Amino acid sequence: MSSRLTAGLLLMAGALSAQDARQIVAESQRRGRADSQRYEGSLEVVGANHKVSKKSWQSDRLGSYGNSKAIIRFTTPAEVKGVALLVVNHPERSSDQWMWTPAIGRDRRIAQQDRSTRFFGTDFSFEDLEERDVDQFDFKLEGDEAVDGAACWRIESKPKQSKSSQYTSSRVWIRKDNYVPVQYENYVKDKLVRRLVEKDIQNIQGIWTARLLEMTDLGRNSRTILKLENVRYNVPMKDDDFTVQALRRAM
Amino acid sequence: MILLRLISWPYARKHMVRWLLTIGGIVLGVALLVGMYTANQSVLEAFNRTVEHIAGKTQLQVSAGDGGFPEEALERAESDPDVRAAAPVIEQVVDSGIKGQGKLLILAVDMTGDRSLRDYDLEGGDQDVIDDPLVFLAQPDSLILTRDFAARNGLGSGSKLALKTMEGDKQFTVRGILRSGGMSSAFGGNLAIMDIYAAEKVFGMGRRFDRIDIGLKEGVSLEQGQASLRKVLGPGYEVDPPSGRGEHFESLMSVYEMTMNVASLFALFIGTFIIYNSFSIAVTQRRSEIGILRALGATRGQIRTLFLGESAVAGLVGSAVGIGFGLLMAQGLTASTNAFMEGVMGVSANADHMLVRPWLLVTAAAVGVITSMIAAFLPARNAARVDPVKALQKGQYQVLSAGENRRRRIAALTAIAIAAACLALGRSHVIFYSGYLLAVIAMLLLTPSLSLYLSRALRGPLKLVRPVEGALAADSLIQAPRRTSATVAALMLSLALVIALGGLARASYTDIKEWMDTTMNPDFFITTSEVISSRTYRFPDIMTDGLRQIPGIAEVQPVRIVRINFGGNPVMLVATDSTSIARRTRGRKVTAGDFDEMYRDVAAQKGIIIADNLAQLQKLKLGQMMEIATPSGVLRQPVAGILKDYSNQLGTFFIDRALYRKLWKDDTVDVFRVYLSPRASRSEVKGRILDRFTHERRLFVLSNTDVRSYVLKVTDQWFAMTYLQLFVAVLVAILGIVNTLTVSITDRRRELGVLRAVGGLRSQIRHTIWMEAVAIGVIGLTLGVAAGAVNLYYQLTVSRESFAGISLDYTFPYGIVAVLIPVILGAAFGSALFPAETAVRSSLVEALEYE
Repeated sequence: MSSRLTAGLLLMAGALSAQDARQIVAESQRRGRADSQRYEGSLEVVGANHKVSKKSWQSDRLGSYGNSKAIIRFTTPAEVKGVALLVVNHPERSSDQWMWTPAIGRDRRIAQQDRSTRFFGTDFSFEDLEERDVDQFDFKLEGDEAVDGAACWRIESKPKQSKSSQYTSSRVWIRKDNYVPVQYENYVKDKLVRRLVEKDIQNIQGIWTARLLEMTDLGRNSRTILKLENVRYNVPMKDDDFTVQALRRAM
Repeated sequence: MILLRLISWPYARKHMVRWLLTIGGIVLGVALLVGMYTANQSVLEAFNRTVEHIAGKTQLQVSAGDGGFPEEALERAESDPDVRAAAPVIEQVVDSGIKGQGKLLILAVDMTGDRSLRDYDLEGGDQDVIDDPLVFLAQPDSLILTRDFAARNGLGSGSKLALKTMEGDKQFTVRGILRSGGMSSAFGGNLAIMDIYAAEKVFGMGRRFDRIDIGLKEGVSLEQGQASLRKVLGPGYEVDPPSGRGEHFESLMSVYEMTMNVASLFALFIGTFIIYNSFSIAVTQRRSEIGILRALGATRGQIRTLFLGESAVAGLVGSAVGIGFGLLMAQGLTASTNAFMEGVMGVSANADHMLVRPWLLVTAAAVGVITSMIAAFLPARNAARVDPVKALQKGQYQVLSAGENRRRRIAALTAIAIAAACLALGRSHVIFYSGYLLAVIAMLLLTPSLSLYLSRALRGPLKLVRPVEGALAADSLIQAPRRTSATVAALMLSLALVIALGGLARASYTDIKEWMDTTMNPDFFITTSEVISSRTYRFPDIMTDGLRQIPGIAEVQPVRIVRINFGGNPVMLVATDSTSIARRTRGRKVTAGDFDEMYRDVAAQKGIIIADNLAQLQKLKLGQMMEIATPSGVLRQPVAGILKDYSNQLGTFFIDRALYRKLWKDDTVDVFRVYLSPRASRSEVKGRILDRFTHERRLFVLSNTDVRSYVLKVTDQWFAMTYLQLFVAVLVAILGIVNTLTVSITDRRRELGVLRAVGGLRSQIRHTIWMEAVAIGVIGLTLGVAAGAVNLYYQLTVSRESFAGISLDYTFPYGIVAVLIPVILGAAFGSALFPAETAVRSSLVEALEYE
């Protein structure tokens, strides 16, 4: 759920030549790498009926794109306090996820059969949260375009035939000055279905990090605002703390 | 058509009461057929509709009997390369806790993956109307309700609903509303969706699912998917399309359905005799009319067609009225079928409306018309054969010739000889049922001769009671054996059925009581529901030790009861501590094997005890090797012993609980059988049990008497069908007597008029008719009791061989006969009151002018 996590999902860009676009995306991913990350997040889902639901959590993440593992522990509201999520990302397939629900005192594996399903009522789908391998997409640089006054590359990506995706194509805007992706648009056929905007970009421990992400589901007319606080990189973490047993133990 | 209008209609109008009585049998038969079939189909359709609606895009379902299976099976199913989606499911029916709202079907699913198979059409258009999916999963009190149910009960998002759980009554929170239609219509709209892991806890199921719903990858056929899942999961799992659940439900319902169909067929069968009787008499009464028609050039074919046409119209009218009554009956029967399936079989369908199938109505009408025409065939043929010259000779037709009687007797004796041979030689169902049919035919063939003998034999006793009236009554019967014998045949068949079914019920009761005395002997049964057959909730194994520590308790026997598929049928599996059970149920009736030895084998996990009905239904013998599919592979063990048992109509296995735990990986408990120490106070121990456990879980401490009453109540529920048959039998018999007497009086109107003209008192006429009716009752009773004795033998065999598989001892139901004597004689007398009054109040002049 971190900016790295979400940024990694949609890095599919292009260039005047496909190779250039791919290089831009790969460079963007490389610059975002860290051995680990810890932050406190808060989330606000604003529904079409203006109903707002809020949650906050603490996230630990070990590793970077590909073989990373993350544990998210919800801290508020009271109904979800103590719920923890373990996400194990794989470079070439969907992530594995487990959830600990203290109220029933057990963990469960989260089924990943329909990746287009929304992630726990947010405007992110499970697929949006996957860390993707650049080799699984074709990229095309569509040109330059400024976002909030910052010069960006506008890159289109399409999943390769071997890759299944709910989206037909996506567009990403990557800032030329720091290679930070600042906006994404996802299309089904030619229809824009989701837009993610990243703001409040700060350099934290040498890594440009967006601390505010806003995902809009244009079909449902709802949006999810994600804020990251106390972001720290390369915090010492153990592999053993990212297992199903650890998920239970920690509670 | 013209003949029907000009000849039949005036006759029918003149004899309207008799005509209505004649079609009474058809009305009753058709009403039962329509009512029962509609009720059964409504319940079955409701179940199938629920299955279909909640199946969604499910192509296959993995199950392992009603005990469920360990969660690990899900990963194995998911690993199958042919599987696109595998969604675990728990389904339970609980009391909604809202007055008048009945049961609620809880569909527990894993909402994170279930949308691959089911479309949750939620209010607001998407899943965000589960107010918060994370909260829904995090809080085990989360429920999604259907819009209809919520609206009916004024519930909305955030509302609380109290449900009974393993931890007692708990408040649940509505966190989503399903839109109307689609899945919402399942279980009559009384559907609630819950998180599957919360349901495991709420229902005390441990880490077990009821089934896994499967969606296959594109291009994979059902057969391929089935084969590959069976390979992945092993033999203990059933992999079938969702429609398979309907078939399972249908097989549970089949025994019940068969009992009900017998009642309607029986009514039609007896109705046939009433129609035969009425038409025979009508032919007799209308001989002169037929003679005139023949003299005017009407062909035999036209006369036959006329009577068959009348019977068809009678059948059609009877069917139409019967269909109307049947549909009315179906409403009540649907509810009772629902209750039966829930109480006895532990499955619920929640049929909320009647399913009326047009083809059933057409079939019922056809059955009514055809039955009526078959019954009228012989009288119609006889009408066609009427000699115009003899047509005016009154009374001759009612007399049976000696030759005719002899031929019938010879045919009857031949039928008896063949029926006896079938019994002696027959092992197959075809031979047995052929023999049964021949025995019934023999009884019917002998009825006229025996009626005549008995009428003659009764002349003396009747004269003793009232010399003139007695003689007249007896002579009336003797002179009209055809009229008498058809009624007697109907009465005899009714009573034969009453006695056989009553005998069967009595024998079953005796056996069930004996079984309860030896097996249901604990002081307390601790259950999760007041309904002992309910297996919605379960106890954890840890409770066993908790109970054992309670002062005053001498012994605790945990019992697990599940239904598994064996030989294509849902068979009950009872897992108990066999050593302890053997010690406490030593008096049980053994059908095959040695009691101690069989329990030793079961305790050593070297054999399985089976119920005698299972042995009978599935042709299993002592020592025979059995193969039972379990979630851990095939269990191969010999039959260690066969016991008389009434736990389940389709049979029961008894294995040691340790073996069950090992193979089914399930240590939950359905019932604790609790024995108290010799001096312990029941009320004190009960109080201690409740004090110890009620705060942490739902439980009921039932006394031995409570459980025995429950079992007898269920038995009564089962035999309620039998009582219905008895009621039908007696009703049809009464209809027959009323009809015969009405006809008899009409037929003898002139004779009765002459009697009155020569000084006969009205009271004498009245007494004559009463005595005639009672005499018919006596003859019918005598033959009925004799036929019942034979029928009981056949019914016991049918019950053993093809119905319940239970061997019952032949005990003639003297008590039932003792009840039947006053009932039938009273009914006969009562049915004579109206005809007798008609006879004495009719005009003397008209009576003398009659014919």
